[in-house]
Amino acid sequence: MSRIALRSATAEPQIAAARVGIGGPVGSGKTALVERLIPALLTRGIDIAVITNDLVTAEDAERIRRSGLIDPARVSAVEAGACPHTVIREDPTLNIEAADELERRFPGVELILLESGGDNLASTFSRDLTDFWMFVIDVAGGDDIPRKRGPGVIRADLLVINKIDLAPHVGVDLDRMHREALGVRGERPVLLTNCRRGEGIDAIVDLLEREVLFRT
Amino acid sequence: MALRLHGIIGRSDDAAYAGRLHHVEHHGGIELLFVPPADVGRKRFRLTTDRGTDCAVSLDRDEELVDGALLFLAHDRAIIVRFGEQESWRLRPADQAAALKLGWNAGNLHWRVRFDGDCLVVLLDGPLETYRARIKPLLESREVGEVDAVR
Repeated sequence: MSRIALRSATAEPQIAAARVGIGGPVGSGKTALVERLIPALLTRGIDIAVITNDLVTAEDAERIRRSGLIDPARVSAVEAGACPHTVIREDPTLNIEAADELERRFPGVELILLESGGDNLASTFSRDLTDFWMFVIDVAGGDDIPRKRGPGVIRADLLVINKIDLAPHVGVDLDRMHREALGVRGERPVLLTNCRRGEGIDAIVDLLEREVLFRT
Repeated sequence: MALRLHGIIGRSDDAAYAGRLHHVEHHGGIELLFVPPADVGRKRFRLTTDRGTDCAVSLDRDEELVDGALLFLAHDRAIIVRFGEQESWRLRPADQAAALKLGWNAGNLHWRVRFDGDCLVVLLDGPLETYRARIKPLLESREVGEVDAVR
């Protein structure tokens, strides 16, 4: 007996959507990653919605609504009004309510992406808000970022190193940066992306399908 | 293929399940799913039991995982959650001024803490030495004393 068996017998509402956080420093490519994940997830038949967090605007939400990648009604904006981490960790109520609202409006949604506003290396998500969260850094921010062992880099379920195409132009040894990132994270996942060209996105979706959606 | 589990059926120490669990235990069918302290708050996770069963677990948003949660129960098999040991570090400030400094540091460092009388109990997510390094001046000046560091 499991609750799944009971559920099918009693026709209860289906299981809540998975909530996946995306955090990282300003300019690391969080919104670009969301823009790449949306079509990749939709192609695999995954029913999604998006929440973006900005300081005092809905800039990122408007960008995604205008992108044509997703029904604009499926994109919600949260204005933090303060440091971004305050609404994803200390008091995630606004984001929880936004996610609950999306689930009410779109029954059957399987996965909600929650993009944090740009923050520093100490940014982390509350487990009350997300089931899984990734932290996005980029090579142009400096290859020493993993060695600095920020909580975002260390604790995230997945570390994404973005803009790998820029490595030779900013004097970064990408192999070493990748190796050091794996080292400080105890060999937990580190994936490399170039969001401008869509490189590395499938590997992230593979991971989400396995670890969060339990499809594989 | 993962065993898909959703929700908590009950607690393994609940009298309502005692008979059935005793029967399962008699047949060697109890599997323990060890959940690390850092993952206890998750509503979705994928972990492997002590007998190698790959479990894909989800909970309702208002459910809290507990040590001893019963996730699966059949006539010859049960899966029970066991929390990994949470390491903690107990600190006692020398006076009110030191307590303010300690609280300020713990907050800014985003430590997970519990309050226990006149002590601050830090729940460790990493090596103790990395925590000590963050408040080294307070420890060296004896404004804050280490009561113990325990599993």
